[in-house]
Amino acid sequence: MTRRTESRSGTGRLAAWLLAGAAGLLHAAAFASTADHSQFKQLQQTFGSGPAVTTVCLECHARAADEVMASKHWTWSFPDPHSGKQLGKQNVLTSFSLGIQSNNPTCNACHIGYGWKDNSFDFTAKENVDCLVCHDTTGAYRKGTGMAGHPPVAGMALPEGTKPVDLADVAQNVGKTSRDTCGTCHFHGGGGDGVKHGDLDTSLTAPDKEVDVHMDALGLDFACTECHKTTDHQVAGSRYALTAKDPHGALMRGKDDGRNPATCQACHGNTPHKAARLDRHADKLACQTCHIPEYARGGIATKLTWDWSAAGRRDSHGQPLLTRDDHGRIVYDAKKGAFSYGEDVVPDYFWFNGKVEHLTVSDRIDPAKPVPLNRFEGSADDGESRIWPFKVMRAVQPYDRVHLTMLKAHTTGNDEDSYGRDFDWHRAIARGMKDAGKPFSGEFGFVETEMSWPITHMVAPKEQALSCVACHGAQSRLAGVPGIHVPGHHGHGWLDKLGWWLAGLTLLGVVAHGAGRAFAHRKGVRK
Amino acid sequence: MKSRTPLMTGALLGLLAVPFAVPVHAADADWKRGRVYYRFVCTDCHKQQPGGEISPTSRTMAEWKAYFAAGKHEKGKNSLRHFVSKSYRESIKGKNQAAAKFIDVPEEELWKDVQAFAIRGAKDGDAPAKCN
Repeated sequence: MTRRTESRSGTGRLAAWLLAGAAGLLHAAAFASTADHSQFKQLQQTFGSGPAVTTVCLECHARAADEVMASKHWTWSFPDPHSGKQLGKQNVLTSFSLGIQSNNPTCNACHIGYGWKDNSFDFTAKENVDCLVCHDTTGAYRKGTGMAGHPPVAGMALPEGTKPVDLADVAQNVGKTSRDTCGTCHFHGGGGDGVKHGDLDTSLTAPDKEVDVHMDALGLDFACTECHKTTDHQVAGSRYALTAKDPHGALMRGKDDGRNPATCQACHGNTPHKAARLDRHADKLACQTCHIPEYARGGIATKLTWDWSAAGRRDSHGQPLLTRDDHGRIVYDAKKGAFSYGEDVVPDYFWFNGKVEHLTVSDRIDPAKPVPLNRFEGSADDGESRIWPFKVMRAVQPYDRVHLTMLKAHTTGNDEDSYGRDFDWHRAIARGMKDAGKPFSGEFGFVETEMSWPITHMVAPKEQALSCVACHGAQSRLAGVPGIHVPGHHGHGWLDKLGWWLAGLTLLGVVAHGAGRAFAHRKGVRK
Repeated sequence: MKSRTPLMTGALLGLLAVPFAVPVHAADADWKRGRVYYRFVCTDCHKQQPGGEISPTSRTMAEWKAYFAAGKHEKGKNSLRHFVSKSYRESIKGKNQAAAKFIDVPEEELWKDVQAFAIRGAKDGDAPAKCN
């Protein structure tokens, strides 16, 4: 009996050890990743292409491809609820490329898929979804230039000097998205580091607090998804669906009420300042207007102008001209035209109510004046607008003289229609419009364009927010913004003089009255 | 009370298993932490020196590996490793936030982290990197 008891006791003790050990391991797992992808046999193989990796990913993450394929990252198309227009990269015009349709292999290096090189791309093929571009943690993953979204892999015919990506290593080390992964495309929009947005460049991979208080690598160190809250691979906070004014206060995380979680107010609420007077400013001003005093503040310049009409020059030897400035930036490229850049740029300011009108290649234009490629709507009196900071990109680009529409062109690659090969605009435009399925009269000219980009990243420390005099002084940043009276800046000379005279007379009256009282008092004392 | 002993011991063993439960690659160098240290400690000091900043892309992977293997700073005046040592971090933590943030990171780990970033960021590395 005693022995049996001891035996039971021993078994129980073993069970207790095992259970406790298992509990401890579970506890350990709670602090670590729950899945070490390097241990998965399916990923321990040599991958010859991106789709081969995706096929393996989908064995476990069965719904992931469907979710991605429902996102703008995949469709590059967005139905605008305000105008009914189909927007997205497939449809809108920019100053930075003359349309993606005939430049797919190059532009689509930033598509979240593999192989979109022309209109035959299969948008329903799940294996074409690129999981690695967003979930790489090694920093070694990249899509090849002109490879339609495919990464360079050993065994492919790669241009000299191109380093192949070890897809197995990347796949075995997948993890959450990061500023590095999002930045792979979003920091390089427009064809280079910081080129397009002005408030997004590689300085944000590991910035200090001065560059961005939220992404500060030594402080909050926010990933993009901290604000751009993502559910089922749908990333919130697109520039196609901006929230100009968010009066609803802080948004409880997890509460799904259709609000945009990427607004400042979603975390900071509507009364974040100690002084109520500053909170009241938010009725008319976007938070970004004061808290992002300049953009391109991380030491990387953003492109401010692009003159496509200047392209095509050759040097004295007949070679295409390429010129750099003192900082090593390309300021002239025969294949693309002339550029200018800026760092620490003071934004432009407009009223914005959340609605953006985008020009498409089907819309008629007036070439007599600069053509707005997009227009942020809003006014002082619509009750929905606030004054926002913007980068305004100014360009000169081709338009159809007969149809009075903007034109797309084939500017990349090295084929006979590519502008970069023979510098023949007519051929490049004809090809670009054909690929876009739009008419081209055969007659083209160049027109000035403007495109606005809202500034919302690179939030400065509060000590570096705009001071009062930046707006309430003679040289106000808001000079020229219609429909608003800025005390200290706006004023009438005669009214100011009248005010000073009245103040002076009041002071004089007070002094005279006081003197009279004093005199009367002394006289009374003597009596 | 006796019956709690194996439970406690098992739980402790489980806790000790934490380092082994993390993915194999998590035990590898953390190049992102190395990047922060490189930029906010190494670069922060170097940009005030006559030679200025030294970008990872200024050297090849082989050159960086040889440089770290030699471990000499200022042509041998100092040990390179001294600049990731805890004593060095202690000496500058009052004026350098990165040194303060990583004050408790074991020297060996930080040494590997910085190497990982520099070698990855080399001109022929997997992800060429500049100082900013």
